[in-house]
Amino acid sequence: MSSVTIRGVTKRYGALPVLHGIDLEIRDREFVVLVGPSGCGKSTLLRMIAGLETISSGDILIGDRVVNDVPAKARDIAMVFQNYALYPHMSVYENMSFSLRLKRTAKDVIDRKVREAADILNLSKFLDRSPRQLSGGQRQRVAMGRALVRDAQVFLFDEPLSNLDAKLRVVMRTEIKALHQRLQTTSVYVTHDQIEAMTMADRIVVMNAGRIEQIGTPLELYDTPANLFVADFIGSPSMNFLLGTLEQGAVTLADGSRLPVAAAPQVAAGRKVVFGIRPEHLALSDDDNGLAAEVEVVEPTGANIQVYAKVAGMPLCAVFNERHDFRPGQVIRLTWSPRQAHLFDEASGQRM
Amino acid sequence: MTSKLTRSLIYWAILSPLVVVILFPFGVMFVTAVRPREELFVYPPTWGFTEFRWENFSEMWVKTNFGGALLNSLYVSIAATAVALLLSIPAAYAMSRYRFAGKGAYRTFLLMTQMMSPIVLVLGLFRLMMALGLVNDLNSLVLTYAAFNMAFTIWMLQSYFNSIPRDLEEAAWMDGASHLTSLVRIFLPLAVPAVVVTAIFTFINSWNEFVLALTMMRSSEDFTLPVQIYAQVAGRYQVEWHHVMAATVLATVPVAIVFSWLQRYLIRGMALGAVK
Repeated sequence: MSSVTIRGVTKRYGALPVLHGIDLEIRDREFVVLVGPSGCGKSTLLRMIAGLETISSGDILIGDRVVNDVPAKARDIAMVFQNYALYPHMSVYENMSFSLRLKRTAKDVIDRKVREAADILNLSKFLDRSPRQLSGGQRQRVAMGRALVRDAQVFLFDEPLSNLDAKLRVVMRTEIKALHQRLQTTSVYVTHDQIEAMTMADRIVVMNAGRIEQIGTPLELYDTPANLFVADFIGSPSMNFLLGTLEQGAVTLADGSRLPVAAAPQVAAGRKVVFGIRPEHLALSDDDNGLAAEVEVVEPTGANIQVYAKVAGMPLCAVFNERHDFRPGQVIRLTWSPRQAHLFDEASGQRM
Repeated sequence: MTSKLTRSLIYWAILSPLVVVILFPFGVMFVTAVRPREELFVYPPTWGFTEFRWENFSEMWVKTNFGGALLNSLYVSIAATAVALLLSIPAAYAMSRYRFAGKGAYRTFLLMTQMMSPIVLVLGLFRLMMALGLVNDLNSLVLTYAAFNMAFTIWMLQSYFNSIPRDLEEAAWMDGASHLTSLVRIFLPLAVPAVVVTAIFTFINSWNEFVLALTMMRSSEDFTLPVQIYAQVAGRYQVEWHHVMAATVLATVPVAIVFSWLQRYLIRGMALGAVK
């Protein structure tokens, strides 16, 4: 087990820059999730840690060792690939023992380690099968087993759950998290799914267009997103954004509605701002003072209802845990606790 | 049920002219090969024969030095196949996995060599082999056959190699394998179907090749089968057609056996190469 340090790392393909100076400190035993939309550079960064992509500039350290020029095979890192990359011509046992056989480990040690890993992953019955005889979830487990037998310094996961169906994805998510709690191996996990990131990570790194937007624990990102991108990316359904003008203790929308905010930042009044409020933080107002919203679509999920409405011409979503019988066209009054409102500068997109 | 039967009958009716055209020479070949000598030139020609003469084969074997030519053909075909594969696999791997300047031009060059008939080059090749001191040496055929087949084998192997996911090799590297180890233990086992397909093609092409063998080989003990059989016909006062045909039957049989045994790889290899 080991820490991973990334210092000023950049990546260019020819003249095309894909990573612009990444700085990241992954602590020993930590589970860090790199999350972002496709093309943001998260997989490239992971492959650079693995040694499968060269580094254009900067340093990557595993423990105290600079590994910039160390080939993948000598980095002592285990990786789980998106399509599992199981060796199709080998049995499950051979797949899992391949790395140990390469190291010429004693036969009885190999056997013990493979059986231990198979036991943890519920694969004991399938050791003689070939990968094509396994279901998606089982293949996923074999890919993890291959990493598990290694006692590697670091585990890397490259969108390992994206090929599974929704239900299995939730199960495997929990299994991976439980596994990490048990083994405590430093792990870097890449996903585009913010729910995976929120549920699994010790810390989340939100990436966008080759840059890190914010690093923090799941709740830090949820409670205090640093900018509009993170605010929009974390949370489902996404945060509502209403464009307005900042005035004393409130944001005024185009139609004159006033949205109260907690502590008005020290900026000149009249500044253009984006007011952010999460759908789950909206509540129905008891009186007629709340923000007027015209209902357009109502989506019941069973656990709650999601209401899509329009406020001053802008879309807004609200989630209620109580059951309401709203009709399209109906005007509802919304309220919220000013502490849960977010303010962003419209020009820079940064939190105020 | 009946509609399926009628459909089958219609398809076979449409296919039958093709089947006849392909099978006719084989029929003539076989019937002539097992006939007594006296019945060779009966008029009008018939498909029947009064006696099934296996002796034609044994007589032919001795008289035409068939065994020697067979060994020559086997040596040339197997060696040419081995050389072609040994050189094509690394070339195809590099073309499939690495980016390098001139890759597209090289592919085009390979394709263009396929548009030239070997006969255009025969004179130049002869002079090349003269310079190398390889005329009348079976190894000259090994080299030229391997070279002529490599354009095809590289193309074929490369398109198949492209379909083998890179992730598998990367996973092997992460598992601690060197490039060579991952190539030998992960990559090549998965490439077996493509390797077998290209081996079959190279073998059959080498086995059947005639013009180059006729040009390079001067003495009769070095003749390969096509040249040896041709020598029974060309420039003779009397042609022993039943022996010629018996030799032809024997020359096509090994290829047919190899082909039918390996065709399952052929079909699987081609399908896998085309679709991921």
